[in-house]
Parts: sequence; structure tokens; C-alpha cells
Amino acid sequence: MTTLHGLLVDLEPFVPAFHQEKMHAYWNNESRLWATMGDCEPTTRAQIARIHEERSGARERGYTGVHFMMRARDGNIIGSIGLNWVDYWNRTAWLGAWIGEKDYWGGGHGTDALLLTVDYAFRWLDMRRLCLGTMDINERAQRNVEKAGFRFETRERKAALVNGRWIDALNYGLLRDDWPGREALVDQLGLREKAERRYGKGD
Amino acid sequence: MIEGKLVDLVPFEDDFAIHMETWMNEEAWFRARLWERREPHTEDDVKKFIEKMEKSERGALIGFQSKDGDPIGGVIFDHEWQRVRKADAMFFAGDTRYEGTDEHLDGLLMLLRYCFETRNLHRLDASALAFDEVRIDLLRRAGFVHEGTLRQHIRYDGDYVDVEMFGILAEDWPGYEQKVAALDLQPSGIEPKPKPEKKDDKETEAGEAKS
Ligand SMILES: CC(C)(COP(=O)(O)OP(=O)(O)OC[C@H]1O[C@@H](n2cnc3c(N)ncnc32)[C@H](O)[C@@H]1OP(=O)(O)O)[C@@H](O)C(=O)NCCC(=O)NCCS
Repeated sequence: MTTLHGLLVDLEPFVPAFHQEKMHAYWNNESRLWATMGDCEPTTRAQIARIHEERSGARERGYTGVHFMMRARDGNIIGSIGLNWVDYWNRTAWLGAWIGEKDYWGGGHGTDALLLTVDYAFRWLDMRRLCLGTMDINERAQRNVEKAGFRFETRERKAALVNGRWIDALNYGLLRDDWPGREALVDQLGLREKAERRYGKGD
Repeated sequence: MIEGKLVDLVPFEDDFAIHMETWMNEEAWFRARLWERREPHTEDDVKKFIEKMEKSERGALIGFQSKDGDPIGGVIFDHEWQRVRKADAMFFAGDTRYEGTDEHLDGLLMLLRYCFETRNLHRLDASALAFDEVRIDLLRRAGFVHEGTLRQHIRYDGDYVDVEMFGILAEDWPGYEQKVAALDLQPSGIEPKPKPEKKDDKETEAGEAKS
């Protein structure tokens, strides 16, 4: 079973529609700038198809990343989350999340997805440390990862360029020894209530 | 060749390529490339690494040598990010006699000089194992600023150790001439080592016996 079931989202294998439609939308809307630290180059379907094709062959070339598609409780595909680089030697991995649908920001979906991914990385990939980078101006992402237990570790000065301004990049780290477990955080963060408020009572 | 005060930057080939078979198995290498698996590097691994860097569009491996032509080690910029004009900076004294000397420091300064003054980069990143005082001292003297610590980030000899992260911006860099004058670099007087023996080309076939 490779689907990770959460309360607001499920993390699933990608479906073709994601690459054919969603990716094109996400690469051309505001979410792109937040997810890529400032890039917003208008991107054609043909370019997306090429990028997708190149990525599909990456594993054979030694790429170790693991990615999931994010589907909200209402059935809509809303983005992706995953480990961009899994370093099995140092047992460290870099995480990244990208919700491409603005309507789903700030409602707990990212937290739910992050907890599932962290849990997966510790329990199935035997990672002992996870890292995550974001921008100084991305307060939503900062709040999101801090809630999940990540600690601020480094500030790279002027490491991103966004709309003509130099922005600091922030890196966060989470050690497995400090992780209270997904269940504990689901309770502590009131994710069940959050899910109920948005989607009503369910399974 | 790009001429510096105590060292010159030269193409990474000939004697450098031969020395590299030793260098890439030295402790100094693994402290510079701290995320790498601790595994023996065969001749073939070394050749592949040099080739990979040669072909890279986002980085390069450059040799640095003393004024009397003694190969000291290498400097690397890698993962150059065009849009943001930043890259990772790495340097190692393969000849460990030079570890922590002003020649070692000048190698790093020459990398900064090339990256900022020729390549027009805006920012460089560097890292060091928390206990690697020599490297941290060299980074600081070159003008890198400590920007934080990645906790227990790297496997090292039965333990997981912290990594100190550093960055330097083009605006932090006063220019090579000024930097060198301010640091008052002095040659260490280390005797050049004998030139390595040239390899016989036929010898490479012996690699097949490996399996
Ligand atoms: C970052 C992202 C994955 C987070 O997911 P999310 O579902 O929006 O996050 P959550 O709702 O779980 O958590 C965000 C928190 O920040 C808060 N928040 C939202 N907007 C904020 C803002 N502008 N400033 C400060 N806090 C903000 C939310 O209220 C929430 O905190 P709360 O639960 O205490 O109320 C998602 O927003 C996203 O993909 N954004 C676009 C791309 C991106 O930024 N990717 C990450 C790059 S590192």
C-alpha cells in the first residue's frame, strides 16, 4: 500500500492528469514563485511535458527522491509533497511541499501532508534527520514546518531573488529523536477538528 | 593560469590527475566533501570524478599550485544556479603538508576571486564539519560569514556531527588585491614534492581484472 491516509489529505501515487493539467497550472500561477524561491517564467505545456519526461528517467540516473501527489478530502488534486533528495548514507532527506491551489492554503492541508511525509521518512526510509528550506518571506511555510516540530537552523543571506529583491533563505531541521510521533501532533494541533470543520464528519 | 599571490590556478590535469588518486583517499578530501560515503576511491572512480567535473555546465574543478609549480590541491565551484548567481564553494589541500597554510588560504581566495570577479556570482555557500577548526578558520579569514548549524547532519566515524554553514556575498568581498594585502599572506616554504611518475597508458587494461 503506497497511499498515506491523512485527515485532510491523502498522499497517493501521481496520476497522468497531474502532469498533463495540474502541473501546467501550478507552474504558471502564484504558487510557483513560493515553491521555487522566486521563479515565475511562463511555462508551456511542451516544456512541462519535457520536464516530466526527464524526471521520469531520473531514478535510473541515481535520483533518490520520493514524491507523492496530494489529494484533498473532497477528491480534488491539490499539489504534491515529497523528499527531494534522500541521502541514505547520512540518513538525511530534504523535504518539499507544493500546494498549487490557493483556495487550499492555510487550512491545515500542508500540515497534515507534512506529518504523513515525516512519519513515512522516519518509519519506512529510516531517516534520522529531515531538512527543509524556505524563504524569509514565506511565513505560511515557516508556520507550517514549525508546527510540525522543525527547528530553525540557518539563514542564508540573500540566497533567493524574488521580484527584484534579494531574500534570505531559511533552513529548518527535525531530528527523529525529537519527533513526538504523528498521532501526538495530530492531537496537539487539532487536525481532526480542522478536518471536520472543513469537510464534515467522516471516516 | 590565473596568477595569485602565493598560488596559481591551473587546469586540473597531468600531475594533478595522478596526485588525485592519492588525494581522493585522504582524510582532507572527506572533510572537504563531507557528505560523501566513506569508501575507497579506485583509479577509475577518480578518473570519473575528474571527467564529470570537466563536463559539468554548473561547476568546475580547478587545480592550485605553489609559485614553484608544486600541486597543492583543488578548488571547486558546483551547482551554480544561474538565475540567482550562486554556487557551492569547496576547496581541499590534497598535499596535506599545506593544510592550514597561507597557500591553502590563497587557494580559497583565488576561488572567490574567480567566482566574484570573473564569473560574476552574487553568493557562495560553504560548509564545514563542526570540529574541523582548520577549515572553519580558513573560511572565516577568507571572509565567509557563519550562517547557522545543521544539527547532526553528517555521519562521521560512528557518530552524527553538526555542520557549520557559511556564506559570502559579492558585497562582502573587497576584491582580491585588497584582501591579500589585508591578510599579509606569507609563503610556508614547503619543499616541492618530486614529480609523480607518468602512468603507462597500457596499464589501464589491468582495470578489467577488478571484477
Ligand atoms: C507551504 C504550504 C505547503 C503550507 O501548507 P498549508 O496547508 O497552506 O499550511 P497549513 O495551513 O497547514 O499551515 C500554515 C499555517 O500558517 C498560517 N498562515 C497562513 N498564511 C500566513 C501568513 N501569510 N503569515 C503567517 N502565517 C500564515 C496558517 O494560519 C497556518 O497556521 P495555523 O494552523 O496555526 O492557523 C502551502 O501553503 C503551499 O504549498 N504554498 C505554496 C508553495 C510553497 O510555499 N511551498 C513551500 C515552499 S518551502
